[in-house]
Amino acid sequence: MDGWTTLTKAGRQTRLAAAAWAALAVALLTIPLFGDYVIWLTANMLILALFAVGFNLLFSFTGLLSFGQAGFFAVGGYVCALILLALPSLLLGVIGGVIAAGVVALIIGFLCVRHTEIYFAMLTLAFGMMIHSIIWKWRSVTGGDDGLVGVPRAPLEIPGVLTIEMADLARYYYFVLVLVVLGIFAIWRVVRSSLGLTLQGIRDSESRVTFIGLSVMKYRLIAFTIAGLASGLAGALMVPLGRSASPAIANWTFSAEPVIATLLGGAFTFAGPIVGSFLFYIIKEIVVIFTGYWMMTLGIIVLALVLGFRGGVVSVIQDRLLPLLARRHNDQGGDG
Amino acid sequence: MAGKYELNRRRLLQATAAGGAVLAAPFIRPAQAQDPIKIGAQGVSSGSHADYGRQIQMGARFAAEEINTKGGIMGRKIEILYRDDELNNEVALKNARFFKAQGVNFMIGTDSSGVCLALGPVLPELDLIQIFTHAATEKLTEDLVFKKGIKHIFRGSVPVYQDAILPALVFKDNMDIKRIANLGADYEYGRTSWAMFHTTLKKYRPDVEIVGETWAPFFTADFTPHLSALSAKKPDLIFATPWAGEAVLMLRQATTLGIFNDIKAWWQCMGGSVDVMEGISRDVATGKFKDKLWATARYIWNWPDTPDNKAFVNSFAERWGRLPNYSAECTYSAVFALKAAVERAGSVKTADVIKALEGLELSTPAGKRVYRPEDHQAVYNVPAGRVTYNKEVAPIAYLTDLKVFPAADYFRNPPFS
Amino acid sequence: MTFDALVYQGLIGVSLAMYLWLLAAGLTIAFGVLGVVNFAHGSLYMLGGYFAFTFYLTLQMNFWLSLLLAAASGAVIGSIMERFFLRYIYHLDLAYQILLTFGFVLIFADAARIFWGGIPLIPPMPEIFDSTVPIVGRPFPVYNLFVIFVGIAASALLWLLLDKTNWGETVRASASDREMAGALGINIPRLFTIVFAFAAMLAALSGALGTPVRAMTPGIGTSVIIDVFIVTVIGGLGNLPGAFVAALIIGLMKAYGVLLFPDADLFMTYLVMTLVLLFRPKGLLGGR
Repeated sequence: MDGWTTLTKAGRQTRLAAAAWAALAVALLTIPLFGDYVIWLTANMLILALFAVGFNLLFSFTGLLSFGQAGFFAVGGYVCALILLALPSLLLGVIGGVIAAGVVALIIGFLCVRHTEIYFAMLTLAFGMMIHSIIWKWRSVTGGDDGLVGVPRAPLEIPGVLTIEMADLARYYYFVLVLVVLGIFAIWRVVRSSLGLTLQGIRDSESRVTFIGLSVMKYRLIAFTIAGLASGLAGALMVPLGRSASPAIANWTFSAEPVIATLLGGAFTFAGPIVGSFLFYIIKEIVVIFTGYWMMTLGIIVLALVLGFRGGVVSVIQDRLLPLLARRHNDQGGDG
Repeated sequence: MAGKYELNRRRLLQATAAGGAVLAAPFIRPAQAQDPIKIGAQGVSSGSHADYGRQIQMGARFAAEEINTKGGIMGRKIEILYRDDELNNEVALKNARFFKAQGVNFMIGTDSSGVCLALGPVLPELDLIQIFTHAATEKLTEDLVFKKGIKHIFRGSVPVYQDAILPALVFKDNMDIKRIANLGADYEYGRTSWAMFHTTLKKYRPDVEIVGETWAPFFTADFTPHLSALSAKKPDLIFATPWAGEAVLMLRQATTLGIFNDIKAWWQCMGGSVDVMEGISRDVATGKFKDKLWATARYIWNWPDTPDNKAFVNSFAERWGRLPNYSAECTYSAVFALKAAVERAGSVKTADVIKALEGLELSTPAGKRVYRPEDHQAVYNVPAGRVTYNKEVAPIAYLTDLKVFPAADYFRNPPFS
Repeated sequence: MTFDALVYQGLIGVSLAMYLWLLAAGLTIAFGVLGVVNFAHGSLYMLGGYFAFTFYLTLQMNFWLSLLLAAASGAVIGSIMERFFLRYIYHLDLAYQILLTFGFVLIFADAARIFWGGIPLIPPMPEIFDSTVPIVGRPFPVYNLFVIFVGIAASALLWLLLDKTNWGETVRASASDREMAGALGINIPRLFTIVFAFAAMLAALSGALGTPVRAMTPGIGTSVIIDVFIVTVIGGLGNLPGAFVAALIIGLMKAYGVLLFPDADLFMTYLVMTLVLLFRPKGLLGGR
């Protein structure tokens, strides 16, 4: 541990952050030891984390606030459900769900991205609810408000290569974990790529980006579609978990979950939505034990976050906790 | 200078480990014989239908209190755990797993048909019995229990046959009724009940004609377009499925349009529910419905006229300050059914209790309930009646002119073709 | 489908539109001046309805007084929202302002449950409206005519207020150029509070107007906002006449949809919105 003392303060913070992520990884891998309820809860947290990271790509990195992501989540979920009911292949179900969500996002995105901020928020909300109403009305396909039940948790099958049964909850949990990590990693790569830089450029100054000859609309649409794909994947993973799909996952109040999670964890950071998703579930589970009024509690938290803690939990950790832990005991706070 | 921050890090790790142990603790304790028998209840506590969740809690807790003062079940006290399912499948499934982790022995409740269809198939995996006490879809018993053999499902409340087939029996002999119309709640329950109703009625009265059908989604605030579309067709009978808060405002809006002048009868599914009766009492008292409003419920507090029922209604009203709704009575009776089954089986093991519940005959405030073994549906009678108001009889509107038909006459039977 | 039925149903549709119009007017005015879209606007509708119920039934007040007090209560809540919360984040990204109002949606929904419970509440119809008038030979509820009257009166008053008074001029000036207006000595922060409160008042009035015919439930706030957004988008954000026209269109569509296409009515509003967005993205009458 000699190396520790020779690091800069920033270096120590990075090490601590890395250690925290490592601890999280270990925790996630050992979740199945804690029983079905904890597995269930964690799986939901992971799915929300992916959902929120997709949302955040739009919000923090492209500057677009969407209240309609649940629509794509639902498309992913329902298409996956329909595929699984016809053909017991988890792989096809998930892929089908993701593609369908992407296509729908492309179409709706086309109508929405040419509008700015406020309009965009309202439109995405309205389109999300349009998907909700289609799901509700198209009873012959979607089961209407009863939804689709009895969706099998089909085995993951690559013909000729492998077949993994998924009936066991713990196994399916690992499947969700792997895919969520892959999905989040893919978005992380996007953010770090030149595409990501362009998006941030658009967020910061549309006119400059247009000056250098790039089409703002095109890039926004790309971001919107990627977010739609991520939402669709989240939805496709959720459905085999509970073996059912219901219209509630298309409601705009569900669209608000990734928004709150991102705000809670810290917008404008990559890790924020992930941390926020875990916190969101933990807070809700705890609050529900004491009071039925969890909506009000969340509302107050949202107000507090917007008014005072816009960096969310991640900024509190990064700006206060980590420096505290990284301080050498005779450090004056300098770079050591 | 290793000192202080290593201490900080070590402390952080220790705290994490301790925290983890604290979180995991509830899930690791072994159960003991004198532990309470835990029953997990779910209902809707949010939004427009929030009263139903409250009634489920009131009924369950009332039963638990009564049983506990008399010594519990086989010497063990009953503990009720309640969670809001928000009419949402995912939340309901999560709650069920939470109950399981808390060591719950049985589950009761569930208002929504959609939720019960999602919960049912998971019960064998959780090895938990649920007595459903509101959700009305026939698919729960006909498909999931009878056809798919999911034995963990029981239903203690009358299903959609009550709202849909009973009225056909009530009105079939009324020759003034020739033109019927539907103001439907646009979801499964609304569609199925309307279909069952007009199909059954037409069997008795092929002369009856459907003159109008409208559908209103959840959270419709204004039914006037639907009502005026129907009144243009001059129906004799309107069959309406929007329930709870929506029923109250729909009926008020109907009175403003003068609909009750022209029709011969209005059938309000679940109109006998206490929250609806409370909401429309004033209009009933001032004669706005012209004695043409008919309804039923899954239990009405003023029938049967037995000492058992009267005692239940009075002590419930004293305890909670309100008359018992059907969801309260059904949940109350479900807890007693579990008690009877556990005592009969001499054990709380799921498989034993399932066997004990099948065919169980129980005396409840609603009358005699029989849990028929074919589809685990409780069979008991609930009348239909005309809505009226008389402050000598009750502080809110209630059903009179009761028409009682044996449940066997309108309950569907296997093989449910 | 007889002509009579179409006329009758159309009139029903117009009365539906009036509730939407009052809501959309408030949202549009708030947006036009403050640049904020208030997600809690539907919740203010809900609170207006609940307050009116309390004044009218629980406290046995006069019906007109209850309407006015309910609208005033909406104004009070709106001014608190603006003065103590929204004002502190104007310098931030617009998204945060939207998020703040969303926090209020959550709080108001549970507040309604706490104060008024989950039971559906409906007071008696005030006697003077408790009748029908024959229109095309069918009984038409007097109350719906009253609602139409209120909607039209509100339009006239709003037009007078915004076009013909000094205050109205101030508001319009601030809407078109905030900085200039401030430079000319208009107390912008105070104006914002007043305008936001005014918008909230319109929302609460819309809710209160429904008291004798629409029971209030805690869930109505989140469902009504969708309709208002659609109306505003179709009319053009920030465009008041546009909001009126759009509200009429949606109201009539809802009414005729039920009559002529009983299975598709809900979807038609979304269809119209999509078409408008495709061909006139700034709204029918143009907006910001």
